[in-house]
Amino acid sequence: MKLIAMSLITPLALFFGLLAVPIVLLYLLRLHRREQPVSSTLLWRQAMMDREANTLWQRLRRNLLLILQLLTLAMLVFALSRPFTYVPSTAIGRQVVLLDGSASMRATDVLPSRFEAAKAQVRKLIGELSPNNDMTIILVDGSPHALTSATNNQSDLNAALDAAQPSLSSANWSAGIALAAAAGNGSQAGSGATTIVVSDGSHADDLHLITGNARYIPIGTSGDNDAISDFSVRLTNRGLAALVRVTNTGPSDDKVLVSLHTGNVLLDARTLDVPARQSTTWTINGLDPKIKSLRASIDQAQHNYLSADDVAYIVNTSDTQRRALLLTKGNRFLEQSLAELPNLQLTRATTPPVDSSAQPYDLYVLDGLSMTLPVRANVLFIGAQSFFTSSGVFSDTQFVTSEASPVLQGVDWRNVHALTSERIHAPSWLVPIVQAQGGPMLFAGQMPANSRDNQPFGRVVLLPFDLLRSDLPLQVAFPVLIANAVLWLAPPQGLNVPANVKPGEVVPLPSGTIVRLPSGQRVAADLRGFAQTNELGIYTAETKGVTAMFAVNFANPSESDITPQPHLQVGGETPVISRNPQFSQHEIWPWVAFAALVLLVIEWWIYQRGLPVFHRQK
Amino acid sequence: MLAESILRSLSGLQFVPPHRRPGTTTGERRSPRRGRSVEFADYRDYTPGDDPRRVDWNIYARLERPYIKLYEDEEDLTVHVLLDASPSMQWRAVEEDRSIKWERAADLAAALCYIALSSGDRLVLETSSHARYGPKRGVAATSGAIEFIEREVLPSEVSDGSVPSQAYLSGSNLNGWWKRYAVDARPGLCIIISDLFDAQGYTEGFNALGSSRLDVNVLHTLCPEELDPEFTGDLRLRDIETSSLQDVSLDDSALNQYRQRLNLWINEIAESCRRRGGKYHLTNTSDSVEKIVLRDLRRDGWVQ
Repeated sequence: MKLIAMSLITPLALFFGLLAVPIVLLYLLRLHRREQPVSSTLLWRQAMMDREANTLWQRLRRNLLLILQLLTLAMLVFALSRPFTYVPSTAIGRQVVLLDGSASMRATDVLPSRFEAAKAQVRKLIGELSPNNDMTIILVDGSPHALTSATNNQSDLNAALDAAQPSLSSANWSAGIALAAAAGNGSQAGSGATTIVVSDGSHADDLHLITGNARYIPIGTSGDNDAISDFSVRLTNRGLAALVRVTNTGPSDDKVLVSLHTGNVLLDARTLDVPARQSTTWTINGLDPKIKSLRASIDQAQHNYLSADDVAYIVNTSDTQRRALLLTKGNRFLEQSLAELPNLQLTRATTPPVDSSAQPYDLYVLDGLSMTLPVRANVLFIGAQSFFTSSGVFSDTQFVTSEASPVLQGVDWRNVHALTSERIHAPSWLVPIVQAQGGPMLFAGQMPANSRDNQPFGRVVLLPFDLLRSDLPLQVAFPVLIANAVLWLAPPQGLNVPANVKPGEVVPLPSGTIVRLPSGQRVAADLRGFAQTNELGIYTAETKGVTAMFAVNFANPSESDITPQPHLQVGGETPVISRNPQFSQHEIWPWVAFAALVLLVIEWWIYQRGLPVFHRQK
Repeated sequence: MLAESILRSLSGLQFVPPHRRPGTTTGERRSPRRGRSVEFADYRDYTPGDDPRRVDWNIYARLERPYIKLYEDEEDLTVHVLLDASPSMQWRAVEEDRSIKWERAADLAAALCYIALSSGDRLVLETSSHARYGPKRGVAATSGAIEFIEREVLPSEVSDGSVPSQAYLSGSNLNGWWKRYAVDARPGLCIIISDLFDAQGYTEGFNALGSSRLDVNVLHTLCPEELDPEFTGDLRLRDIETSSLQDVSLDDSALNQYRQRLNLWINEIAESCRRRGGKYHLTNTSDSVEKIVLRDLRRDGWVQ
C-alpha cells in the first residue's frame, strides 16, 4: 500500500506539545545534586574525564529518560492530532454492503465458515472506513434486512455484524438490491454510493441488476458437497419402504455413509458411491408401517462442506385412513383414480345420503350432483354446481397460465381442453389457479375460519367443466391432479399441515395451536399460523386433542450446490476499483499511540532497572 | 591506640633494608665495609626491650647497672616514618563518629615505630604537618612516639569535610614536604604512610628522598569507600582538602570507570616504587594491624 501523503485531522492538538516545557523544567529541578564529601576528587575527576570523553552517546545515556519522556509526549500529541494518510480505497462516499446470508454461506470450505469469512471481509471494510464515509450493511437471506442504518460508527457496525447469522434459505437478491438502492439514495449528494457484494456467488444471478458503482468480494474455495436431495416413504406389500437420494453437487466423486434412524434407533446404514454431479438412490424395504417419523443423514463423506443438507426428516402418514364420499352418476376415470389412492376409504353414491351430518366424511367429491353438506366440508366440485353462481359458459379453453399450488404439483395443464366450461363467479377466497383464454379452468381455496358454526366449507377445489366432455381424464395429469387434490383437501393427519415444510415457511395452523419444536421448545401459533420454522427436524402440533406432525427440511437443491463463483459480473460493469482508483483517509493514530505506549514501557523499565552496563574492552 | 598484646606480638621483628648503607655510629647491623675485625667499640645504656643476651654481665656485676656492648662491625639503621596526617587521611564517613582510616594509619605508624625502636634502629617520625619526633633509639621511646601520633588527630569538623579549614590544607603538598625532609635526612629506610591523594603527584618527592639515599617504601593506605565506592545517583562530590567540586551521575558504568582509573593509579605508584628499589604495599584500612604487619608486610619482605 503506497502512502500518498499525510495530514492531520485536528492539528490544534499539536499545542499539547507545549507540555514538553514543564517536563524539561521538572527534569532540571530533579537534577539537583546531593553533595557528598569525599577524601579526594582526584580519581573521580580523571574517571569522569575518561567517561565524558567517550562520546556524545554517554551524554545521551545520562539524559535518556528525558529523551524517552519527550519522545513519548511527542507521540501522544501526534496521535491526538489524528494523523491520516491517503490510501487507495475500494470506495468513497456511502458504502452499501450486501452480505450474503443464504444457506450456502454455511459451507466450511473456508474456516470457520464462508459466512464468518465474509464477516471478516466486511470488518476489514469497516476498518478502512474513513471519517467522511458511512456504511450500511444489508443481510441478504430469504427476507433481506438492513443490520444497521447508514453510520460511520465502527463499533456499531461491528456489533451489528457480530449478531448476524446465516439462514437456511436462499438469498432473495432482488429484494436485497432494492434495499441497497434505497439505502444508497440517502447518501451525500455527489459522492454516490458503492454497493459491495460479499458472497460466494452461488445462484446470485440477479446481481447484474445492481446500478451504480459496485464491487464483488468472492468468498469460498470449493464446491464439494453431498446432499440428501430426496427422502420419501410409501406403504408396500412388504411394509414401509423408504427412498433416500443422495446428490453429489461437487466436482469430485465421493463415498458417502448414509444412515436411517427413527428417533434415536438406527434402522440401517449404507455406504453409497456418488459420482460427481450425480445422484445415487438407496431404497430401504420392510420397515415397520407404524413408524411415526424417519431421519436420514449423511454421517461420513470425503468431500462435503455443507452440513445443513446432510439430514432429512419425514413423517409417515401412510397408515392413516381417510373417508371420502363420491357422489356421481358414473365416471370411470374418476372412480378409478380415487380408488387407487392409498389410505382412502371411498364410498360411491348416486344419490345424496339421508343424514349427511351424522358421520361426516373427510372429503366430498360432487361430480355434477349436489347435496346438503355438513359444516366445514372439504369438497371437490366437478362441473356446474348450485353452490356458486355461473354467468354462462365459454369454449375457448386454451391454457394461458397457472399459479403455484400444491394441487398443481406435477400437473401439466397445457394440453387440457374442454368442450365448454362454466364461467363461475367465485368468492374471493376461492382462487383461480388455472387460467384459459375464456376464463378460469380450476379453482382452489380455503374458506376463512370464523367462530360461528355455520361455516359451510373448509377447503374447496372446483373444476368448472364436465370431465366427460373434456380430454383431461385422458391426460397423464389427471390421476396426479386427483391425488394432489385429495391430499390437499383431506390431509392424512387430523390437522391440515403439509408433510414437508421449508425453513422459514409459515405453516397454516389454527391460532393457539401449540407446536413442539425439534429442540423441545413449545411455541403457540398466532393468527398468521406458525412461522418459527427455522430449525430442521420434526415438529409436533397439537390443538383440541388432535395431533399432527410435520417435518422441516432443507430441501433446497440450489443452495446445496455450493460451487463458488470467483468472478461474477455485478452491476453490469467491471468493478469500480480497476476503473477509477480512488483514495480515502486512513487514520494511523492507533499505531502512533501504540508506539507511545512502547516508549513509556521502555522508559519505565529503564527507570526501574537502570541502564544495562557494557564493559569496555581494554 | 595499639594494645599491649599487639605490641608484644611484634617483638623480635626488624626491618629488612633494601640496601645496606653505612651508618654513623655503631649499631646492631652488619656494615657494608669489608676488612674490619669484630672488635669491641663501646657501651651504651640498657633500655627495656633490648636483647638480654647483649648485656655485659661483668659490668653489671661490678656497677650493678646493665650496659649493652657495641662492636665495630655493627652499624645502626635509621628508619624514617613519614605519616601523612592530611584531611584526606582523616576522612570519615558521615555515619562514623571517628575516622577509621586515620586510626588504622596511626596504628600502623605506631607499630612500625615500635618495630624500629625494639630492634635498636634509630627512628625519626614526621607527619605532614611537619611535626617531628626523634631521632630516638631504644624501645622506651615507643610511648613517646605513640603520644606524638595521637596529637596529630584533626578536629572532627575537618575530617568529615563539613568545615574545610585552610590551615590544614598545607598537608596535601606531599612533594614539598618530602623535598624539604630529604634535605637533612640521614640515609636509611623511609616508610611513607599515605593515601597519596595529591593533584601534584608524588614523583618529585620520591626522587628527592631517593637522592638523599633513602630507600622509599610506600604503605599506601586507602579505605574501603575509596577502593570500592558504593555511591549511586546524581551527586556533587566535594574534596575535603581542596573543596573542589565534581558532578557525577553514578551508575554501574561510572563506578567501573572509577575502579579502572584507581587500578591504573595504584599500578603506577607500585611501579614507581619498584623502579627506585623500594617496596609498595596497598593497605585496606578495614584490615587489622596484625594482619597487615605480621602477615602482609612479612610476606612482602618488609620485616623479618
